[in-house]
Amino acid sequence: MRHDFLDRYSRLESPVHRWPAGVKLATAFLLVLLLVLTPLATRWFFAMVAAGLCGAALAARIPFSYLGKRLLLVEPFVLGMAVLTLLQPGGRVVFLGIVVKSTLCLLTMVLLASTTPFAELLRVLRRARVPALLVTTLALLYRYLFVLVDETERMNRARHSRTFTGRRWGTWKTLADVIGQLFVRSTERAERIYAAMCARGWK
Amino acid sequence: MHIPDGFLDAKTAVASGALAATGVGAAVWQAKRTLPARRVPLLGVTAAFIFAAQMLNFPVAGGTSGHLVGGVLAAVLVGPSAALIVLTAVLVVQCFLFADGGVTALGANIFNMGLVNVFVGYAIYRGVRRLVAGRRGLVWGAAFASWCATVLAAVCCAGQVAWSGKVAWRLVFPAMAGVHMLIGIGEGAITALVLLAIARARPELIDRPDDAPQPAATIGGGLLVALGLALFVAPFASAWPDGLEKVAAKLGFEQPAALLGAAPFPDYKLPWLGDSGWVTAAVGALGTLAAFAFAWLLARLLVPNRGTGVCGEPRLVGLGSPINPLATDRRGRPSN
Amino acid sequence: MNANPQTSDHGPQTPDSRPQTASRGRETPFPANLRPQTQDAGRRTQATLDPQLSLEVRNLSYRYPDGRVALRGVSFAINEGECVGLIGPNGAGKSTLLLHLNGILPERISGAPTVYVGGVPVTEQNLPAIRRQVGLLFQDADDQLFCPTVFEDVAFGPQQFGLDPAKVQAALAQVGLAGYEQRSPQHLSRGEKRRVCLAGVLACDPRVLVLDEPTSDLDPRGKRELKALLQQIPATKLIASHDLELVVELCPRSLVLDGGVVVADGATRTLLADAALMLKHGLERPHILQHQHPHFRG
Repeated sequence: MRHDFLDRYSRLESPVHRWPAGVKLATAFLLVLLLVLTPLATRWFFAMVAAGLCGAALAARIPFSYLGKRLLLVEPFVLGMAVLTLLQPGGRVVFLGIVVKSTLCLLTMVLLASTTPFAELLRVLRRARVPALLVTTLALLYRYLFVLVDETERMNRARHSRTFTGRRWGTWKTLADVIGQLFVRSTERAERIYAAMCARGWK
Repeated sequence: MHIPDGFLDAKTAVASGALAATGVGAAVWQAKRTLPARRVPLLGVTAAFIFAAQMLNFPVAGGTSGHLVGGVLAAVLVGPSAALIVLTAVLVVQCFLFADGGVTALGANIFNMGLVNVFVGYAIYRGVRRLVAGRRGLVWGAAFASWCATVLAAVCCAGQVAWSGKVAWRLVFPAMAGVHMLIGIGEGAITALVLLAIARARPELIDRPDDAPQPAATIGGGLLVALGLALFVAPFASAWPDGLEKVAAKLGFEQPAALLGAAPFPDYKLPWLGDSGWVTAAVGALGTLAAFAFAWLLARLLVPNRGTGVCGEPRLVGLGSPINPLATDRRGRPSN
Repeated sequence: MNANPQTSDHGPQTPDSRPQTASRGRETPFPANLRPQTQDAGRRTQATLDPQLSLEVRNLSYRYPDGRVALRGVSFAINEGECVGLIGPNGAGKSTLLLHLNGILPERISGAPTVYVGGVPVTEQNLPAIRRQVGLLFQDADDQLFCPTVFEDVAFGPQQFGLDPAKVQAALAQVGLAGYEQRSPQHLSRGEKRRVCLAGVLACDPRVLVLDEPTSDLDPRGKRELKALLQQIPATKLIASHDLELVVELCPRSLVLDGGVVVADGATRTLLADAALMLKHGLERPHILQHQHPHFRG
């Protein structure tokens, strides 16, 4: 997973990017809420929202292919669950409603994430008096996610170059060993991070 | 199992959000009181670890692959309250950065994959370990607990979707529960394997000396889970589902123009499921017993002699002083 | 202050266990606090005869919780403004020693203090003040860069100590990373990460700078840049490194640590030119001292 997968467009220059993060977050929340609560019959609303989101994407210079790819990652679950609704009478309406609403909500959140650096979201959370422990955990999670992913990839590659059986169970054992090693290293890293924090005055 | 936006109605979102907020709030409050400062970075790094572990593909069959959720794994490694905080962080990042899981459904997702997964799993894990000693108990407990936690979380998820009126219980429950009974096997196996690997390298990470039983946390978590089950599952799992439908019709839930969408309770029944809830109960019981047996089998395979490892498996090279990992370099060798 | 800070009665038995005569008499011993430092071309170190020592370690011993002995009776003293190298083989206890200098080890400080920073002993009560005075740069930059943005990370120290936030900009400018404030750490190169860590430490105006393997994962350009940076910082410096060329170029004085004992303490060039001593302690004579380089005088 490349480092810039999440942050590729979050630091561009555009009117949407310049909006304060708190405003963007609140707007996104409100929009999602409205989308979920509005009955499907009010078609003009959904059409308007769709147009608005596309416009925002254009203004923020986010390529549609990128948005499409992000949506594609999450659509399968939506469709999988929604297909069940087709099995009940009157289900077609429900199905359509779910798909439209979900997709538009997804688009909203993907746009939010693509135009707001995560550090800003954290700042908003801190100002909103979210407990410090939670914000710290989120910050460290974001910071060390890619470090750990890199480590995992390296360990995986090393294991693969010494594995010749290709049996599924063997792969599972290998992966489990890699995850286990990753945790052990992570605890050691956490200790070193604690030492670094203390060294700079953290109590 | 991440529920996207649009699947839950207002009352379900609010109810599950309230339960989740209470649980996470309590966990944070307890952590402030009892978590030593030294362990604070560990939560963040563990969250990154769970996230990274979730991204690995475990090949299943024909191109499909399974993934770890890791609730029970986290609970065993850092304790249930901390695990709830860890899972919450993971779910929040998945929701906001990956759009995996809806914002309105965040409460429900945290309830299912945080509260239910962690507390039910942890309780079962501790129960089994108290009965069975040594590494075998570890594998058995971890595998069975993960399976149960996965299935129960899926059942809650089904209940939430059904309570919202989007998909009938009769459809979503067998689909979710059935699929997750299979997924749970993978989760159980992976969790057990990972814990065994860690136990071999650093046993003190699994059986921590400061691992107090935390009765308040377990009881509190259990209470919240029970409340959720009462709200989301119990109404549907009653032995008189037909009665519920009649009530619903009387109260006018079948108006298509209602905020909830189309008719919540259909007349269509899946052919292989009988009218009564007993069949469901029987299937559930059978599945649970099968999972229990599978977990025992796994324990026997991986730990053939009580307490020792599989023969021929080399112990991972010592990773420096266990309580002073600062002494090790990146490659685990004692440095300087 | 005693001019012979330590003896190595225990630890690796060497015939030359007197710490400062590694040169076997060819050059007079270099007592730690009585001689001014020599100037080398291109360096601007300060020589002071300040009786108050920047950093002093007295008979420091440390045993890991699992029983292994890490340090045995380590003693040395460093003057204000000195730049001292700390070299030795893997497992010698260098990192462990450095962690004692700002009180991270031992986990609980009890008994007689063994480390003094500017005359102030390192005790539980003095820890905040000590940690401000001693800036420690860890081996792995990723461990030290734990905030979501560069600015927040450099500002972490000043925030904890209640210092002026303007120091953040100044520190970033000092390491040549002005304009990097909103960057995310995962997008930085190793050299840049290292420099951000340095900025984070400099922003607290430390009296002593302690560096653990600062060039370990840098490419040659990164090394050059870091070397140039370090030369401009006037604080007292203690640099633990395997990069013997770096030590020769930056540190007029070096301590050799092996098996938890300081086995030599003297002029860097003298110690490192002594091939036998180097080999005995898992090191080797650096290339830079083996030949006369055209761009290197002296």
